[in-house]
Amino acid sequence: MSRRKMFLRMITASLLRRRSRMLVALLSIAIGAAILSGLVTVYYDVPRQMQAEFRSYGANMLLVPAEGEKLSVEKAAEALHLIPSGQLVGQTPYRYVSVQMMRNQQTFVAAGTDFDQVRTTSPYFTVEGDYPSGARQILIGKAVADTIGAKTGSVVELSFHPQSTESTETAELKPGATLAGSAVGFNQNPVYVSFSLDEEMKIRDFTVDVSSQTEEYGGQCGEEFFTRQFTGASLPLTLGEDIDAVSGATITSTAVVEAVNGARPTENAAAVTGNTLNLQVTGVLETGGKEENYIFMSLDDLGVLTGEKDSIDVMELSVSAGAEELNSYVDALNEADNGVTARLVKRITNSETAVLDKLQALVFLVTAVVLLLTMICVSTTMMAVVTERRKEIGLRKALGASDGSIRTEFLGEGMFLGMLGGLLGALLGFGFAQIISVNVFGGSITLQPLLVPITMIVSMIISALSCMLPIKHAIAIDPALVLKGE
Amino acid sequence: MSLLELKNVSKIYGELKALDKVNIHVDQGEWVAIMGPSGSGKSTMMNIIGCMDKPTMGEVLLDGVDIARESSKKLTDIRRDKIGLVFQQFHMVNYLTAVENVMVSQYYHSMPDEKEALDALELVGLRERAHHLPSQLSGGEQQRVCVARALINHPELILADEPTGNLDEANENIVLSLFRQLHREGTTLIVVTHDPEVAEAAQRTIVLEHGRVAREVNNENFDPNAI
Ligand SMILES: Nc1ncnc2c1ncn2[C@@H]1O[C@H](COP(=O)(O)OP(=O)(O)O)[C@@H](O)[C@H]1O
Ligand SMILES: [Mg+2]
Repeated sequence: MSRRKMFLRMITASLLRRRSRMLVALLSIAIGAAILSGLVTVYYDVPRQMQAEFRSYGANMLLVPAEGEKLSVEKAAEALHLIPSGQLVGQTPYRYVSVQMMRNQQTFVAAGTDFDQVRTTSPYFTVEGDYPSGARQILIGKAVADTIGAKTGSVVELSFHPQSTESTETAELKPGATLAGSAVGFNQNPVYVSFSLDEEMKIRDFTVDVSSQTEEYGGQCGEEFFTRQFTGASLPLTLGEDIDAVSGATITSTAVVEAVNGARPTENAAAVTGNTLNLQVTGVLETGGKEENYIFMSLDDLGVLTGEKDSIDVMELSVSAGAEELNSYVDALNEADNGVTARLVKRITNSETAVLDKLQALVFLVTAVVLLLTMICVSTTMMAVVTERRKEIGLRKALGASDGSIRTEFLGEGMFLGMLGGLLGALLGFGFAQIISVNVFGGSITLQPLLVPITMIVSMIISALSCMLPIKHAIAIDPALVLKGE
Repeated sequence: MSLLELKNVSKIYGELKALDKVNIHVDQGEWVAIMGPSGSGKSTMMNIIGCMDKPTMGEVLLDGVDIARESSKKLTDIRRDKIGLVFQQFHMVNYLTAVENVMVSQYYHSMPDEKEALDALELVGLRERAHHLPSQLSGGEQQRVCVARALINHPELILADEPTGNLDEANENIVLSLFRQLHREGTTLIVVTHDPEVAEAAQRTIVLEHGRVAREVNNENFDPNAI
């Protein structure tokens, strides 16, 4: 029999045949290891769970068209191959267009989207009624519902006024023609213009409707000091050269100029008509945010209404990843040069990181305390064991055991104990983490197989360290005193 | 030829002289009994010879080496290599079986060899009890295991401190006949005892009183062929 085999036989016999005392040490290690591995499991799993949780606060990334490009659902999907599909929780397209309510000629923002995806990127939306599930169905914001007095089941008639940017055909402009145009101004709200051309193709009879704009800024674009600049001007106009912007209302000013440049001849300037659709309200949306001012419909319906299908303005993304990973995806998307620009929704990502940092600090603190307590407990137990085994240690020394042998034997016992305790603890810890996870986060966790050997090794190191002082005492035992035998 | 020589060995605990200028000489292969009243210094002397303690003064020559001057690490080596110990209380590792207890001695000495350990137990008549724990053995059986453990590494010198002090007649006889066999094989034996019968089995008796050698008696009745 080899010395190693005898060594193992001795230390296992010591642990197995002297059960009661060793059980205490084993239990304290197991409990320490359980708390440790449980915390680590929770710690590694929490970011994943938190990310899911944070996802419910909305999208954390945006795709917008790159400069000079147009965005479409297909183009966005193409670009998003860079993000593993498992992490891409939701991708919701939005296209914003100004539409008019036929009944009272009020202007609203229509948002074309994909309702299945809305639920993933904006899970906090609360809908009274249902999300639209078929064609010609819409969801209206609460503010819209209040303004027009519509509710679930109502049918509303919406019309679209072609915008300058969307007018593809350029009808021939002749002296004496009457033109009308519109463009998107501040906060996605439209402005309308109408005017005629005189014999010299110069603008006359210029009127502008900026009632949808903020009164104190964009509203000034309806004032005489602004509108008079248009009379006598020739198309196309350039802001800053032909027309001076109203200070504080650049967006509205720009929109008015755009509307003029994109204006098309029309028979009746008062009713610039595009297409008209009857749509049924299936639900009223409450968010507490700007969405309550919108009318949501499918991209298809919006396409029918506007006569243009493919383009979208923005793609909201919900990506299940930590801040670092998100940043790397944003960089990758922007570098790929796919005609899209990616941006982070900063506020959410930052708070996510802050919470995780605090959690990390807490776990480290608790871990340190638990390790310390475990070490004290194991050390105390081993000390009691040494005292209890004074005679045996003296006997071993009398039989020729060197200090080194005594140290190795106790260390061996301690580490064996640590290994068993660690194994037990890792399993207990998984249960412990599972309980925390189910109760706190409402989701179960996956066992990290690597955590078992790691917990065992850490436990072995902890118990080895705990054995240091007891071993010192064991080595100091004098065989002569022990064996004198009075 | 001299195996052991104590020259003016004293062990002093404060005021108390546990050993007071003791001079002893033991030849290779000799069997010596040590007698004396309780507290006369017998165990103190055995501990010094057994390399577990150092004298306050004097020389202790074992195989010509003065063990009074050696480091405790060296003493451990000497004890392991040359000496077999049997104690009055049957000191066994209580969670190891009889054969494992014998193997512990082999383990510290060189290589554990279960077959050899079983043979040693056979010698002390405990082959069948080899896999019993100490708690399952009687006092006499435990002491016989201790003898087996003391002789397993074939030491030059066996030191036994009252080995039969707690034994019944039958076990005492078994232990004595083991000593006789060891003696015939050339092992040097120093046996502390209260029992005149055990002392008479030896070749020579040294009597200690108050830490001094009171007298030495050669045993005329010593029978080298007794069993
Ligand atoms: N470690 C010690 N400290 C103080 N006195 C001791 C110590 N060991 C032994 N003695 C004393 O030395 C004397 C001899 O003891 P010991 O050798 O055990 O006697 P014996 O074995 O002959 O009965 C006793 O008086 C005992 O009390
Ligand atoms: Mg004594």
